[in-house]
Amino acid sequence: MSDLISASLGLPVEIGRIEKELGLLWENIGDKTRASLINLAIYTESASAVAKNTDLVAQIATEHACRAILVYADLAAPERGAKAWINAHCHAADKREICSEQITFQLDGDSPSALTNVVFAHLDSDLPLCFWWQAPFREPLDSRLWNWIDRLIFDSNSWDNPAGQFALVQKIAALGEQRTILCDLNWTRLLSLRSGLAHFFDNSCALPYLRQIDRVEITHAPGARISALLLLGWLAHQLEWKLDTVLGRHSFRAPDRREITFDLTEATGACISSCRLTAGDAEFHLDRTQPGEFYHATMTGGQFEPSSQLLPAGRDRITETLLMELSRGGTHPLYLKALALIGPLLA
Amino acid sequence: MPTDSDSNPLREGLLSRSVPQPCSLVIFGATGDLTHRKLVPALYNLAADGNLPPSISVVGFARRDKTDEVFRSELEEAARKFSRQKINDELWTNFAGGLFYHRSEFTDLAGYESLATRLDELDAARGTRGNRLFYLSAGPDQFPIILENLRKSGLNTAKEGSWARVIVEKPFGTDLATAITLNDMVESSFAERDTFRIDHYLGKETAQNIMVLRFANAIFEQFWNARYVHHVQITASEPLGVEGRAGYYDKSGAMRDMVQNHLLQLLCLTAMEPPTDLSADAIRDEKVKVLRSLRRLNGTDVAKSVVRAQYTAGSVNGKDVVGYLDEANIPATTQTETYVALEASVDNWRWAGVPFYIRVGKRLPKGATEIALHLKSVPPVLFRQTGQAIDDNVLVIRIQPDEGVSLRMSAKLPGSSLRIEPVKMDFHYGTSFGKATPEAYERLLLDAMAGDATLFARRDEVEEAWKFVDAIRAAWESGEGGPLATYSAGTWGPDEADELVQRSGATWRRL
Repeated sequence: MSDLISASLGLPVEIGRIEKELGLLWENIGDKTRASLINLAIYTESASAVAKNTDLVAQIATEHACRAILVYADLAAPERGAKAWINAHCHAADKREICSEQITFQLDGDSPSALTNVVFAHLDSDLPLCFWWQAPFREPLDSRLWNWIDRLIFDSNSWDNPAGQFALVQKIAALGEQRTILCDLNWTRLLSLRSGLAHFFDNSCALPYLRQIDRVEITHAPGARISALLLLGWLAHQLEWKLDTVLGRHSFRAPDRREITFDLTEATGACISSCRLTAGDAEFHLDRTQPGEFYHATMTGGQFEPSSQLLPAGRDRITETLLMELSRGGTHPLYLKALALIGPLLA
Repeated sequence: MPTDSDSNPLREGLLSRSVPQPCSLVIFGATGDLTHRKLVPALYNLAADGNLPPSISVVGFARRDKTDEVFRSELEEAARKFSRQKINDELWTNFAGGLFYHRSEFTDLAGYESLATRLDELDAARGTRGNRLFYLSAGPDQFPIILENLRKSGLNTAKEGSWARVIVEKPFGTDLATAITLNDMVESSFAERDTFRIDHYLGKETAQNIMVLRFANAIFEQFWNARYVHHVQITASEPLGVEGRAGYYDKSGAMRDMVQNHLLQLLCLTAMEPPTDLSADAIRDEKVKVLRSLRRLNGTDVAKSVVRAQYTAGSVNGKDVVGYLDEANIPATTQTETYVALEASVDNWRWAGVPFYIRVGKRLPKGATEIALHLKSVPPVLFRQTGQAIDDNVLVIRIQPDEGVSLRMSAKLPGSSLRIEPVKMDFHYGTSFGKATPEAYERLLLDAMAGDATLFARRDEVEEAWKFVDAIRAAWESGEGGPLATYSAGTWGPDEADELVQRSGATWRRL
């Protein structure tokens, strides 16, 4: 890690003295309030991600007071070793200044046990552990680590080998007590879109068309094909469609044997810039092809009044996505179910 | 055709609350303060968060002559001023397309008939399917005529597969008799399940958190009873005077304005038993039981257990302020109370012998609403030799401002000698959750659109609360209830209120 990056990480400290040095840091920091609701650990194998993660923690801490544990693993380093830094992120809230603390580790050499140890040793006790894994999952999986995690965060859009990675994710989900909540930021990213699509069918006049959908068209950004597939998988699971492959051509079959065709198109723009559901002459369209924070939600045709509405689309920035994930909490019971339906499409 | 929004499979896992259906919201008194300051900003914020049902129409009903465009422009100005979220021009334009104005006198039946026609047209144009939510935001004296005309015009009756609901703003009457009359009147137009009586305190996050705190944490429920709790203090203080509400306030007074609704609701949430489930009626059943368990204060009991007072001239926030009798539009000889302190007893198994002290007042040093459970003292044996009094544990639920929960406990002062000092564990919503919480009206409007009455007062709750309050007021009127005390503006109330709590060995909390 360059000196420039390490300078942004705060005070270098001996690993054995981290808690004491943090105590001194808080003594010297003056009339500020230290707060913590979660342990937020972030693991990366990219040196350039460390500074970005520090910025991200600073932003996250404004809404989720935390103890952040950033780990950079330099797997290629010739010798094993570890360094640590401590830092604080403060922001004004009402009449006081609220601070979260950050501990950064650099772990040299390939030592999974060192990772497990530094995380275990520096957790703020009794608070949930949210662990953002920014590297590829690899076997063997360390069940001691994974079972300790309350929310395992990852971003499937960053994977080179989605099929292999999803298989490992499913293994992690099956480990030990299975208490770890899997949080694919790609799934979180779809939240506004899923809410928008659900919104159409809250209208009881439109609801019957849900079971008549015969085509799904999704436009996604380059590198966001998995987002589109997860959306498709979610629709398929909720509407009980099964994937049907004939001569290499994929479509879905509804319980009534109706065929549902789909088309995924790549275009520059938002992660998912358009999703159109067609049910006979009725059409339900969420459109975000124009820049902005909203989907233009239109429903036309069919035996209902056409309507047009703006619905929040959120932002595709990773900070907002992570904030949304942490704010919502809860489990994601449909994620693995949606994933299971799109397995054959991942290759 | 399915009508239950729960049958929308795409909703699974997205929301943990009922989903509102498309509807027309008609606001009676649409040019008033509440609409501008609270209702429309709340609706805009719901739209910004994607929580409004599709194609909602909002129809303002008032007597002034104006067009839809003028109405929208006025509401935009208000929303820009009072919305918790910044107004996005594109979203406002989209949202404002669903705002309409209907001019009519409240007394004019023809105005309601033309409203019905207009709502039918909006249903056809916007797909709102005949679902109607009527919001009575006018003065309470207008409620009877509005309800009568809604009935006469048939607007109170929903078409098949649709619903018609009414939201009633407080005050729910001025005493039990008028509350019964009002409730009968509402009931003659709308069924109880379609009637939503708003007490905005119940929409506040912290009020909603009381049940979570109590029933989702094993530690608290263990001491939540007469065995451990010495007394409970519920306080709602405000530094403001009557401001522009002199006419209303002088007829009402602190007892009817605050105690009958907000404070008794907080008492109910504090004292109630765990409901059988989280349904509206299960929760409200438990609250009603608390109200029925409240020992009625009659005659001379009132003089012993209730203090009423009026503020005199003083100083608030560094400014000299006049006494209540010198406020504009306040009659010189009025006996209206601006302060009430009372000791209530919840005569049930859980709370027998535990005083619930309620205090509410205007022109007090600062604004705060909170519930404090003061626990009994530890046996005075172990630390007797230190010669120190040990402060009792106090659990405080702060409703506003600075919402949160704190627990006072004793700790040893560092050092070689044994000295014990009180320390405070403090949870602040604002510190822990940086995100702004929704306004109470956002939640309440959404719940009314979804037909979820959990956070609204039921008829029997309102009437039971009036029975308790009426008995006290009757004693005041007969002279048995003791004299009206006074307190200087900017102080924490009259000496009589201090004496009230001292009888049980308590003192009012310093807020």
